Parts: sequence; structure tokens; C-alpha cells
Amino acid sequence: MSPSRLSSLLIVLILLLFAGSLLIGPAALGPLDGLKGLFAGGEEAAVIIMREVRLPRALLGLIVGFSLGICGAALQGFLRNPLAEPGLIGVSATASLGAVLIFYSGLAGASMLALPAGALAGALVAVLVILAIAAGNTTTLTLILAGVALSSLSGALTSLALNLSPNPFASYEIIFWLLGSIKDRSMVHVWLSLPLMAAGWALILSSSRALDALTFGEATAASLGTNLPRARLSIVCGVALAVGAGTAVTGAIGFIGLVVPHLIRPLTDRMPSSLLIPSGLGGAALLLAADIAARIVVPARELNVGVLTALIGAPFFLWLVARSRREAT
Amino acid sequence: MRITAKSLKTKLSGRTVLHGIDVDVAPGAVVGLLGPNGAGKSTLLRALAGQISSEGVVGLGDRSLDALSLAERGRLVAYLPQDRTIGWPLSVEKVVGLGRLPWRAFGKGLSPEDLAICRAAMEETDVAHLAARPATELSGGEQARVLAARAIAQDTPVLLADEPASGLDPAHQMTMMAAFRRLASGKRRAILVSLHDLTLAARWCDRIVMLKDGRVAAEGTPEETMTAETLRDVFGITAWIDRDDCGLVLAPTGLAGSP
Amino acid sequence: MARAVDRSSLRPVGRPARLAALLLALLAPPAAAGEALPRVMSLNVCTDQLVLELADPAQILSLSTLADDPDLSFHSAAAAAYAKNRGLAEEVFLVRPDVVVTGTYSLHNTTQLLEHVGTKVETFDYAQTLDSVSGAVRRMGKILGREARADAVASAYEAELAALSSPPAADAPTAIIYEQNGVVLGSGTLADSVLKAAGFRNLVAERGYAGMAPYPLELLVRDRPDLVLLGSPYPGGPSLADQFVEHPAIASLKSLRRKGIAPRGSWACAGPFTIEAVRALKALREEMAAAKGTGG
Repeated sequence: MSPSRLSSLLIVLILLLFAGSLLIGPAALGPLDGLKGLFAGGEEAAVIIMREVRLPRALLGLIVGFSLGICGAALQGFLRNPLAEPGLIGVSATASLGAVLIFYSGLAGASMLALPAGALAGALVAVLVILAIAAGNTTTLTLILAGVALSSLSGALTSLALNLSPNPFASYEIIFWLLGSIKDRSMVHVWLSLPLMAAGWALILSSSRALDALTFGEATAASLGTNLPRARLSIVCGVALAVGAGTAVTGAIGFIGLVVPHLIRPLTDRMPSSLLIPSGLGGAALLLAADIAARIVVPARELNVGVLTALIGAPFFLWLVARSRREAT
Repeated sequence: MRITAKSLKTKLSGRTVLHGIDVDVAPGAVVGLLGPNGAGKSTLLRALAGQISSEGVVGLGDRSLDALSLAERGRLVAYLPQDRTIGWPLSVEKVVGLGRLPWRAFGKGLSPEDLAICRAAMEETDVAHLAARPATELSGGEQARVLAARAIAQDTPVLLADEPASGLDPAHQMTMMAAFRRLASGKRRAILVSLHDLTLAARWCDRIVMLKDGRVAAEGTPEETMTAETLRDVFGITAWIDRDDCGLVLAPTGLAGSP
Repeated sequence: MARAVDRSSLRPVGRPARLAALLLALLAPPAAAGEALPRVMSLNVCTDQLVLELADPAQILSLSTLADDPDLSFHSAAAAAYAKNRGLAEEVFLVRPDVVVTGTYSLHNTTQLLEHVGTKVETFDYAQTLDSVSGAVRRMGKILGREARADAVASAYEAELAALSSPPAADAPTAIIYEQNGVVLGSGTLADSVLKAAGFRNLVAERGYAGMAPYPLELLVRDRPDLVLLGSPYPGGPSLADQFVEHPAIASLKSLRRKGIAPRGSWACAGPFTIEAVRALKALREEMAAAKGTGG
């Protein structure tokens, strides 16, 4: 499939899911009332429901999904490792930890800006740790084990920090930070995270040539004129920005960065650079779809979207592990 | 373009691997780099490619390698490492196409001219018929030829190849060396290639550089360098040496010093 | 409550435990009238309130630590004078009270352990409403040997509630209590009975929500009740839950009030003091009606 055709198809899919996300909700608004509320104004409740409740939710599904998809593709390309993913290698969990530490300690008051600041710092630490471990030629196993260790540690520390918070609601928020949700977010969250994410996407896309060259390992990549230190910096900062900013407003949503590049790769020429944007688009589509499902599977009690992505992603991960074992033997 | 090294000294994790090496590869020449394991062949190639820092000067034409940007180096020196990693199941033509990376502007695809160069490179190493196959599904020898085509498609005046012939069947070993000779002809390229097969080196290279323990042990034409003494001193072997119409024929017969 | 007590009384009690109970009964002074009132230990913030309301200060051995929290404990000022417990069985063994009072939901394991070794434990139901207050007061009075005071408190409460209550008419203003994280208080809750006594219709109870239940933000916006009472933020530290009430969709609602318009702690537990919450909400309703009248 040609890259532009693939991207067009994914964009059509995203538009459908985006519309679905806007039109599905507990307040039974007709599609016409909904559209009117979104664009033209009209009845006050419909306007607020569309613009302040459903629109930010759909937008966050779009941009956070895009971030997770593109970061998964970038990390897989950069580490030449098909199991690399922000969640699995511990970036999301550590970003959560960063956000939790700064926000709940009250260091930054109750300011919303504390969340992305902390999450970015956490994500940055995690990416640097992973790259330090992956320096040289690391096996998939080492990388995944390091990620598991980092995720467990961050998850435990997140739980600890929330349990120690004097605010009794904090401990209920463990599930949000560990599993993620885009329920009841506002446009504030969109504006808070979008610029940071966009900067992250730009950094990742700027290193697309390096990702291609790295297909042959670092020596050949360097001989092809690739500035490896700069590429490494771009990927580290790009992933930290995109995943950190997303995690700051939605908690750690896992497995999208793992599943999507695998589904998209066979539809491309398999060049790491051709995978970036389609993976982002696929990630957006998957998160929007999962979030719609989270709303309608058990209508009375809305699920955390991270539960659904884990339900899809974890078996997929097991299948990948089983397959790579078969190939190794 | 000529590539030269003047008193090149290189340390790898604190250990001196190259103790002051002088090399000169002229355009039009295919120079064979020989030596036992651990003599410093790969390190020399990496140092010449600018991949590891070293004391001394690497010159490209009348310029120093250090003065060149990474992008310029990519258009002047192609490097084919021993590591034959192909990370993703790219098709053969995509793999070879990546050789054009230093010549492409950001965000631009391959031009018809690029495609023609890639096609020619694939024909040189006899992989054109595999163009559409995923490179990762090929045999080891085929992959080696695909990666060599990738380096050739980089279309640089200097080509450094680390054991490009190992793992290849005899016919394709000779195909590869013949391709190097063609590419060098007319002073178009300076080619330095490390080899283990003595006969292959003797018959296809214009000149030989023999390394031992990080120093140049012998340098000159195959006839000058591949003598019983140097083979004994450098490799610790005895060899049967003869010649036919096309050059030397060498066959190792035993370990020097053993009865 | 009754269920929990029944179940534990059906369980066969081992011989050592029965012996211990017998010993305790022999050692304990007879609960005669006058000076020898039973000494009480309360493990739950809601029973703390009733104990503080009814007991003679000399009777009180200790109260729960939450008794000091003014958001949960109406009598937190009075509670300051007493020792506190964390609801651990060990603490009970050390102090050896004549009776332990606690809630059915709190520290269920501790309750069973105490009953098992023969400590007298009285549990009070968590699902309280305004109607259950006088019954609970009289029961606590009996447990504490303060029947006369309990009767006086309960009678005064009943009279005051009857005078104050104005059950909502069909055109009464609607209200939703929207707690942190979008949890509403439906039928069967104390808050529901307070709203109704103050003359509000509890909209979520009418929609069939019972107890504490999550309520989608969209529905709150669609419902546009005449009054939205938001949970008060906790002073301890920031939480997303406390931030949530600043969501623009909530901010867009008119007639937003904090639950804190009622005196602190007045409707965290049910007690005679909950009348203060009814009074505050009734005043609010009258104020709203007046504003509506003058506004046209």
C-alpha cells in the first residue's frame, strides 16, 4: 500500500471514530443537536456537553493516541527492537511517577503545570536509563527486563506516594496513574499537553532519516552521514515530551505503542521512517476506539481506557514473545 | 580521490590497537588488507571511516577527514562493516536504496537517477534478481551481497569494506572482487578491502597491506608482499606459492614452526 | 448491622473465649445506677459523635483518631480532650473497656476479634438517615447508662426536625450533591434525607441512584439542577479529585455551592447536630426562592 493511501485510509478511520467519540455519551444528544452544540451554539447544555466534555475527550484520544503510536514506532526503530514501547520499557510508568511526586507533594501548589513538568522529568529519566542499558547491542530480553524493573519500581513508588498523601482521595487515584483514562478531561488539559506533544512529534520526525540508517546498526548509520548523538538526543527528548505530556493528563496508557506499529508495519515498505506517521494515526484510531468501548461496554460503570488497551495489548505482547521464541529456535 | 593515513594511533578501551600506521590508497586501486585475527584490520577501517577517534591524520584528497562534516563524509567514504545487521524485513531494493541517503534532501524520495545507481549496484553484486524479496529472508551470503550493493550505491570515491567476501561461495567471492575492480577502474574509486582468503587477495588486489599487532608488516604488490617469509612472520604459516597466467596461487600447507 | 451481629453470635465460641468472657464479667463492676457508668471506647467517628453527645466525660476511655477531623467530626472541639485510638484490637485489650462502640463498616475484623474474646461490642449501622438518629441516640443512651439524657436529646431533636422539615413539593427546587470524582449521593443516604428535609428534590435519587454512585458529568450538565452542591476540598494536599470540580463544564453550572455551606462535619455522620445541616440548606433554599422572586 502506498504511504499516502495508507495515511488517507487511517485519517478516514480517525474521522469516523472522532465523530463517534463526539456523538456517544450518557447524555443522549441526537447527532444534530450534538453538531449544533459543537459548531453553532444553541441549547446551553448541549453546547457545554459537546465543547467542554466530549470535545476535549475526543481530542485527547487523538493526540495521546498519536503520541503513543509514533513513540512506539520511533523506539522500535531506534532500538531495532520490535518489543520496544513506551509502556513496556517503563517510560509511561516513570512519567506517572514524576507527575505524582510533584503534584501530590504540593511542591507546585495545586497548579496544573506541575503535572507535565513532573511527567516530562520522569519520562526523560526513564528514556535515559533505557538508552544507557541498551547501549551497545542489547538483546530484546535485557531491554524488556529492564523495562519491567523500571515499570514495577515506578508503579510501586507511585502507589506509595499516593498512599502517603494526606488527601484521602489520592489513594483512589492510583488506578488513574497506573492504568490511564481520558474521562472528564477539559480543554485545559488539551492546551497543556498539545504544544509539548507537537514538539515531541517534530523531534521524532526530524530523526526519521537516522531511524532508517540505523536499520544496519550504528556503524553503517554513521557512515551514511547520520549524526547519531543528535538523533539519540532527538529521540530521547521527543519521546519524553510526547509520552510525558500525554501521561501528565491521562495517566499511563499502555500497549498502544506496541500493538500499532506491528499492525501497521506490514502495510508499509517496512522502512522505520515510513512507519512513523501511520503509526501515530493508527495509535490515535486505536485509542479513540478503545475509549468509545470503555464508555459502552459497561454503560453504568465506565471503564478506564487503559484497562481495555491492556486487555488488547497484553495477549498481543505474549503472542509476539512466543513468536520471537519460535523464530529464535 | 586518495585516502591516506599518517602515523595513525588508535586506542580501544585503553589498549593501543594501532601503533602508528601509514596507508595510502590511490584512486583506481583495490588494496587488500590482510593480517591475522586481532591484527587491527577492522580498527584501521573504522578509523579511516572516521568512526573512532585516533591520533594522526586521515586525509581525503587534499583535505583532512576531521575537517569534513558527517554529511560530507557520507558522500565521500562508504563503509561496509563486518556486522551484517538488517534490522527490518526491508526489500532488497529498499536496503540498497538506503545507500543513497547521503545524497537525498530531507523528505525527498529516490530520484530516477538514484534508482538507476541502485540498479547498477545490485547488478554488480548479482542481487538484482532478488530486488523485491525481503532482505531478512535471504541466505547469509545473499545478505552480504545485498549490503555490499548498498555500500556501492552510496557512490563514493572511497570504499572501505570489512571482509565483504567471507561467507560467500567461491563464484560470488570472485563476482564481488571483480565488481570492486570494475568500480575502481578509470581512477573512479579508491577501495580498501580486508580479506582472509590469500589467493583471492593475491589475484584481485593491486596492492596488499599486511598488518601484524597493529603495525604494517608488509606493503606492496602481491608479488612483493606474499612471500614465504612474510606469510611465516605475519600469519605463522607455511604456504605453497605458485603462479599462473592471472597471478599468484597460494595454499596454506601447515603451521610455521611445527615439524 | 443486625446481620453482622447475628452472624457472629451464631458462630460457636471456643471454650477459652467463653472463659475469658466469664472472667471479664466477674471482674467488671456491676453496671449499677449512679457512679458506676460503663466505661466506653469508641472506634468509629460516627459513634464518637453520639458518645460525645451523651456520655459523662468520666465514662469516655478513648475515641477514634478521626474524631479530631473537623470535616468528619461535628464535635471535634469537644473530642480534643480525650485519648484517641486507631481502632486496633490491641488497644482495646490494654484499656479493657466495659463496652466498645463502633460502626458496622469500620474495621470489621477488629469487631469480630473483640467479640470472639468476649468484649462487649455494640455496632451502629453505617446507612444512616435523619429518621434513624433518634433511635441511635436512644440505643446509645441505653448502652452508656444515660437513658434520661438520651431521651431528652432525642425528643428535642424530633421536635426540632418536625418543626424544621418541609418535605419537597412537586415544584420544589432540584439539587444534586456532586462529590469529588463525580460521585453522587442517591437515595438511602444521610445527605438525601437532609436535602428532602430542607425542601429540595434530590434529582439523582429520583432517577433511581441509590447510595454513593458515579454520575457522568454530561448528565449533570444536562440535568441543570437548581442547586449543585460540590464536595469540599480536603485541606491536606492536592488531588485530582479536588481539581475535578474546577472542570469548565461544572463551572458553567449556575447555583454551584460547596457542601461546606452547612456547618463543618454536620452531615458527615448522622446525629442530633445534623439538624444544623438541614437548617443551613433550608436557609439556602429560601434565599434562592427570594432571589428568584426578586429577579423576576
